[in-house]
Amino acid sequence: MSRLSRRARSLVAVGAAALVVAVAGCDGGAIAQDTPISSGQSFVSSSYETTVFKAGSRPLAPAVSGTTITGKPLSLASYRGEVVVVNFWGSWCSTCRAEAPALGTLAGRLYDRGVRFVGIDIRDEPDSALAYMQTFQITYPSLNDPDDDLALLFRATVPPAAIPSTIIIDRRGRIAARIVGEASYQGLLDLITPVVAERA
Amino acid sequence: MTTADRDRPPPAESGLTEAELAEAGLAESSARKPIAGVRLGFGGWLRWGWRQLTSMRTALILLFLLALASVPGSVLPQEGIDPAAVTQYYTAHPALAPLLNRLSLFSVFAAPWFAAIYILLFASLAGCVLPRTFRLVGSARQRPPRAPSNLARLPFSASYATDLPPGEALDAASQVLRKRRFRLESGDGWVSAEKGYLREVGNLVFHIALLALLLSVGLGGILGYKANRLLIVGQGFANTPTALDVFRPGRLVGPSNLQPFEINLNSFQAKYITSGPEMDQPIGYTAPLSYRAEPGDPLRHYTLSVNHPLVVDSVSVYLIGHGYAPEFKITDGTGKVRWQGPVPFIPVDPTTMISEGVIKVPDAEPTQLGFAGVFLPTAVDVGGQLQSAFPAALFPRVSLVAYAGNLGMNSGSPQSVYQLDTTGMHRLPIAATPLAPGQSMRLPDGAGTLTFTGYQQWISLAITYDPGQLPALISGFAALAGLILSFMVRRRRVFVRARTLADGGTEVMLGGLARSDAAGGFENEFADLTKVFRNSGTTKTAGPTAPGDAEHNPALAGREGSEG
Amino acid sequence: MPVNTGLADVSNALLFSTVILYAIGMLCYACDFAFARQRVMAEMPARVAVGAGGPPVTVPAAPPAAGPATAGPSFPQENTPDGAAQRWPVGFWQRTAFGLTCVGLLSQVFAILTRGIAEHRVPWGNMYEFLAAITCMAVLVLVVVSVRYQAYYMGLFVLLPVVLGLGIDLTVIYTPAGQLVPALQSYWIAIHVTAMIVAAGLFIFGAVVTTIYLLADRSERRLAAGRPSWSAGILQHLPGPVILDRLSYRTVLFGFPVWTFGVMAGAIWADHAWGRYWGWDPKETWSFITWVVYAGFLHARATGGWRGRRAAWIHLAGFGCLMFNLIGVNLLITGLHSYAGM
Repeated sequence: MSRLSRRARSLVAVGAAALVVAVAGCDGGAIAQDTPISSGQSFVSSSYETTVFKAGSRPLAPAVSGTTITGKPLSLASYRGEVVVVNFWGSWCSTCRAEAPALGTLAGRLYDRGVRFVGIDIRDEPDSALAYMQTFQITYPSLNDPDDDLALLFRATVPPAAIPSTIIIDRRGRIAARIVGEASYQGLLDLITPVVAERA
Repeated sequence: MTTADRDRPPPAESGLTEAELAEAGLAESSARKPIAGVRLGFGGWLRWGWRQLTSMRTALILLFLLALASVPGSVLPQEGIDPAAVTQYYTAHPALAPLLNRLSLFSVFAAPWFAAIYILLFASLAGCVLPRTFRLVGSARQRPPRAPSNLARLPFSASYATDLPPGEALDAASQVLRKRRFRLESGDGWVSAEKGYLREVGNLVFHIALLALLLSVGLGGILGYKANRLLIVGQGFANTPTALDVFRPGRLVGPSNLQPFEINLNSFQAKYITSGPEMDQPIGYTAPLSYRAEPGDPLRHYTLSVNHPLVVDSVSVYLIGHGYAPEFKITDGTGKVRWQGPVPFIPVDPTTMISEGVIKVPDAEPTQLGFAGVFLPTAVDVGGQLQSAFPAALFPRVSLVAYAGNLGMNSGSPQSVYQLDTTGMHRLPIAATPLAPGQSMRLPDGAGTLTFTGYQQWISLAITYDPGQLPALISGFAALAGLILSFMVRRRRVFVRARTLADGGTEVMLGGLARSDAAGGFENEFADLTKVFRNSGTTKTAGPTAPGDAEHNPALAGREGSEG
Repeated sequence: MPVNTGLADVSNALLFSTVILYAIGMLCYACDFAFARQRVMAEMPARVAVGAGGPPVTVPAAPPAAGPATAGPSFPQENTPDGAAQRWPVGFWQRTAFGLTCVGLLSQVFAILTRGIAEHRVPWGNMYEFLAAITCMAVLVLVVVSVRYQAYYMGLFVLLPVVLGLGIDLTVIYTPAGQLVPALQSYWIAIHVTAMIVAAGLFIFGAVVTTIYLLADRSERRLAAGRPSWSAGILQHLPGPVILDRLSYRTVLFGFPVWTFGVMAGAIWADHAWGRYWGWDPKETWSFITWVVYAGFLHARATGGWRGRRAAWIHLAGFGCLMFNLIGVNLLITGLHSYAGM
């Protein structure tokens, strides 16, 4: 029967203790429940984070299609060849309201360069959603997603981690970038411009 | 390192002196060198520190510290459990509360000092238990030690005389002990027996299982997540971050790791006792759901209730609350409908289900509108005050106060949907008369109309995914099994010595020692053993064997001649 | 199903008579101490005969060990004139007291049973029922230990808190028979709460023994120092501190695994009902604290310098935590566990 030397045994003991410390320390949150800041409804992010995918390693965007708030059918496939900016929003969400003017303006300015904005409306009734679009003079269509099926479609690739989230899809239907949090006019423009410059 | 440090045995509880222990083979080598002025280097101090940490006394102190540290976590309101109570505490104790907050006393179990205590405790535990495990494995083949020369000095001893020659007396004793599954070792004129190794096994299993428990909890926390979602009857949702009201992921959990199930709430029933002394008490809640484990899976049905969670794709969904969501239709100053649908109101009194809520209409023209008020399921007027008499919606009424102005939602700072910030708003001069379903409230100056169109019910769900749950359960049961084993088994040694007496007979001396028997009980076993040993000899007379006894034992006959 | 109020009334009457029986039993135990003839407590015999025929052997009276008896339990026995050990109570007062205790126990068991039948459920759903159950368990432990270890001397001391507790239970805490709230409607109530009741009953008994041990120990020390001790009179009817210490330790050896199991069963049920197996709810926290302190007691018994008196104080601290857990948390702090029904 082999016996570990004293030193080896001590090392194993210390190592095991360190492992315990590491696991317990890495996750103090499980032992206690931290309450994050949230709106009480849907995980509204108060932070801001961007993810950019380089040309060669972009995931394929899912086949999004559904009914708009006005009742018309809409499918992203019909935008192939154009840059599509998908924005997840809700009329009850303050951060979405704050970024709405920037989105509306950009949608109008970039239309001629082949950029199409599409909204996906989360947890809204049609009347409030239409009122929102009227307030911020949003002319681009928004799909209604009451059961989160559309959000789920993005799960395998680049999911919307919170509300609002904005996903930029290039001309070949691949996801080029994602913003989580309130998008600013300049920030969004900086992300869209290189994608617009690419050829289909 | 002196040789004395190696193989330090578990503390003996028999209270013997060192010399006696050494004789019975229980202490380390008694050859101690006197230490004269040794200076410890850095490594030496580390080793000293480690030794202190893994000592029993430190473990005791840390255990008590842990208990003590948990006390404020149960007495003071905690952020993670009831944030509203913490806010109340701040208003009630404005001077004391910030000080307590700096000491992390409102989130004790996430506090760094609490973590330090349990981490130190488990480090101490690991550092003590693991070497002992190695030692146990090493000693699995160890033979019992040599029998001490003077057995009378052991805690339990007895002696008797027998006719059998010493060798046979020892053999008979060995047989008895072997039948009782003692581990034996014999030598010239003595037999040593030991039993009860399972006690240490149980002890170590218990402590290692505690370590495994902590590891499971930690892993579950890192790889798992918890979420909440409020669902109105008729609504559905999918398990994705944008659909969850509260989302607490573990450190390694991202949005793509969530299991993509979908749940639809078909209806909800709450039953209450309608009469007698327990009126208002709920009897049961049922929430029939339909769900899909993945998009594309067939739709399944399940009736969710308290104590009967839905388990889908190893995620558990629990029914933890319910309430009412009155429905409104709100038109603004331009006559357009700006809101139509249910608004969840939160119950403030669980017995009567009086609920509070707000409705925000940020896109109303010309000014934004906001409403705050109460929903009473069974409204009664008690001395001019509106109250609810029963938790079921037998006589639903809603009473709202109206505001107009700036809701503060366009600035971007997140607001709770259940709270109305009236700093930028002015109250509209209209009385908060209770509305019955179908009735309307016409706002002054043509600001709009609110109609109470009906009500729905909602449930709140807790969604939990914890991969460490099953390992934690197994560890818990292993700990319990190890604990019971270590309590039930005693480690003990029995020694037998036989020698010829001057007058020809044989004196057999027995000695017994229990290493961990603070609860007593070994004396019964020892007395019993003694009785059996005596009966395993042939004759029972006290003095020298009589010649006539040779008939009973042929072996004696042969020996008689050789005895002098 | 509606509650059977007739049976519920029977249950109340039975519990009331239980208190009366225990109170009279208590008085009889006290009379036994006062009036019965002096008994010789065979504490630590210096010499014991091991088998007929062999020469008697001297057993060293080393401090923690008791001399081996020929047979039977490791606790001292009453010595009747003929020298044989007695299993059953001796003397009129002791017999009456024990008899009353047993009858009272039966009455209490039936009180709990009838209440359960009246409510069509397991009868531990609020503080009234819970307190009745744990006092019942404590008396059951008393009866079993009395017979097994001839520990009839514990009767008076255990019945005293039981009678007080039941008295408060029947007056201040009383709740009429009723149904369970939905969160408690689960078969887990029979597992988790039952385990807690068994453990609590054992711990109550252990705490009483520890208190008596501390008194005996203090009295011994005072007498050894030549100072008077007021408790010496009663204590001469009891075995020495060492035996009491062992009895207290044995109680925890039984109770600690049951408490551990109870906490685990509670965690499993909490996960079933609330979605998390541990949330630092006040009751969960205090049952954890109780567990840790009793674990500290077990560690103290194995650590030099902490045995004896210090360990006994730790034992009592653990019991204090248990009492706070059962009563203080229910009354003072609200949490998910607030089922006191008050």
